[in-house]
Amino acid sequence: MQRRKEWMLNSLGILFVLIFLFPVYWMIITAFKSQSEIFQSTPTFWPKDFQFTSFIDIFKDNVGQYFLNSFMIAGLATILVLVLAVPSAYGLARFKVKGKNPMILLFLVTQMLPATVILTPLFIVFNNLSLLNTYWGPVLTCATLGVPFSVLILRTFFLGIPKELEEAASIDGCGRFRTFIRVIVPISYPSIVVCAAISFFFSWGDLIFSMTFNRNQDLWPLTAGIYNAIGRYGIEWNDLMAFATVSVLPVIVIFVILQKQLVKGLVSGSIK
Amino acid sequence: MKKGRWGEYLFIYPAVIFMLLLIGYPLIYNIILSFQDVDLNSLATGDKHFVWFDNYKALADQDGFGISVWNTIVYTLGSVVFQVVIGFLLALFFSMKFKLASFLRGVVMISWLIPLTITALLYKFMMGSGEGIFNQMLMGIGFIDDPIQWLSNPDIALWSVIIANIWVGIPFNMLLLSTGLSNLPEDVYESASLDGANWFQKLFKITIPLLRPVLLVVLMLGFIYTFKVFDLVFVMTGGGPINSTEVLSTIAYRLSFNEFQFSLGAAAANILFIILLFVSVIYLFMINKDEEA
Repeated sequence: MQRRKEWMLNSLGILFVLIFLFPVYWMIITAFKSQSEIFQSTPTFWPKDFQFTSFIDIFKDNVGQYFLNSFMIAGLATILVLVLAVPSAYGLARFKVKGKNPMILLFLVTQMLPATVILTPLFIVFNNLSLLNTYWGPVLTCATLGVPFSVLILRTFFLGIPKELEEAASIDGCGRFRTFIRVIVPISYPSIVVCAAISFFFSWGDLIFSMTFNRNQDLWPLTAGIYNAIGRYGIEWNDLMAFATVSVLPVIVIFVILQKQLVKGLVSGSIK
Repeated sequence: MKKGRWGEYLFIYPAVIFMLLLIGYPLIYNIILSFQDVDLNSLATGDKHFVWFDNYKALADQDGFGISVWNTIVYTLGSVVFQVVIGFLLALFFSMKFKLASFLRGVVMISWLIPLTITALLYKFMMGSGEGIFNQMLMGIGFIDDPIQWLSNPDIALWSVIIANIWVGIPFNMLLLSTGLSNLPEDVYESASLDGANWFQKLFKITIPLLRPVLLVVLMLGFIYTFKVFDLVFVMTGGGPINSTEVLSTIAYRLSFNEFQFSLGAAAANILFIILLFVSVIYLFMINKDEEA
């Protein structure tokens, strides 16, 4: 009886996940279909003949460059997030400084702001600073998505580290900064990796910042490239889905590697 | 001693200053901008005179502005209600102890991680009237006779975007509610079982009342994150057909960056901001009260 129930729940769970993630499956297999197969009146759930032409087409159409740009923007933004957020979270967890609560509140509130509110002013500011049509516009703005999230997650984590660790280090003659780098950062590694991954996802998915601050197509990430391609490709869905598949691939790879830690990190970062 | 203090500030302040420069300053600038008269010309000449509330008045007369406010509300409430209800049911299902539960619950997160631009494109494809899989399947099982014009019928388009957004939001709601469920005390359920309570009684008399704080947080967070929607609407419909899916953020974007009426765009963004600020303050008040309790 117990075993039968277990078996039923597992099957039901798998069935649900298959239905729920069907769109992702549909995206990937459409990328391998021919144009005529897509427009058949009865849909095929497995490509009749597997074609790689869509992938070849899109890589001829600058997707390599878009991919590189996405990596540059998301990578640089992630590094910036970590450099800013890790020490700040540590300081807010450990030091008794004035205005600590307002600063924590600042991070909480900025997380909730719509991008559209800062878009027009920053466009004008970046224009005056000649930062339009460079990587800097999207890198700086994408980092604003990751910084508050990471500060809040990491602060909670640092609060849980026993103080004795740092005290022992300071007896050994380590300064505050050396203690932070040598002792705190290494033991916080798993949480830092989660923040890095999530900041990377945030920036990887950005469309509005790149589209607004960069009119130069050579600097566009995959999202802006694909938005532009929708008009040009029209109904060539296999090419568009190949484009989409390539854009999603890094996200799925990182997710598969870090699944357990990510799920935990997301919960602690959103509830607090 | 003084040196030590400086060291502490060096840890904390760079991130704070960064956020103040890139979020705080633009926020104030945006408010000023909305009271001025700035377009592409005045940006070049530097003539930024104040017109005070003229932009807000012009906005009220703007084609599609009223409907964009209404659409934003419908979009947000429609999305949040379904996300929370479906997310809650799934959280209940996955809280039963079976081997694959936590693995499957994690895998579902993929829909939340896919860039919204891609999700929008994917749903645009699936909701195509002829080649779209949604219509093909619904017609295949005989549920409908004629294809549904998911994105080109003005009466339906907003709900089509809502469907895509529900798909995106379900895993996150489920995850937060699952965590809430796993923190509920088990002994209450045991004594309820001894008293002969059935599943529904336990759900409505124990689970939902106990989960109320978490449910409220999830509802508020859902509202805040959905209300500022941009990518999904922008890519799926661009606000059309005939303004039927226009929301506050897309109209603000269009005014600023297609029509280059920066001040008008800033005013529209400000209205979005004020509503969100209001809800955020309620939210912050709520979680603060929770922590004190």
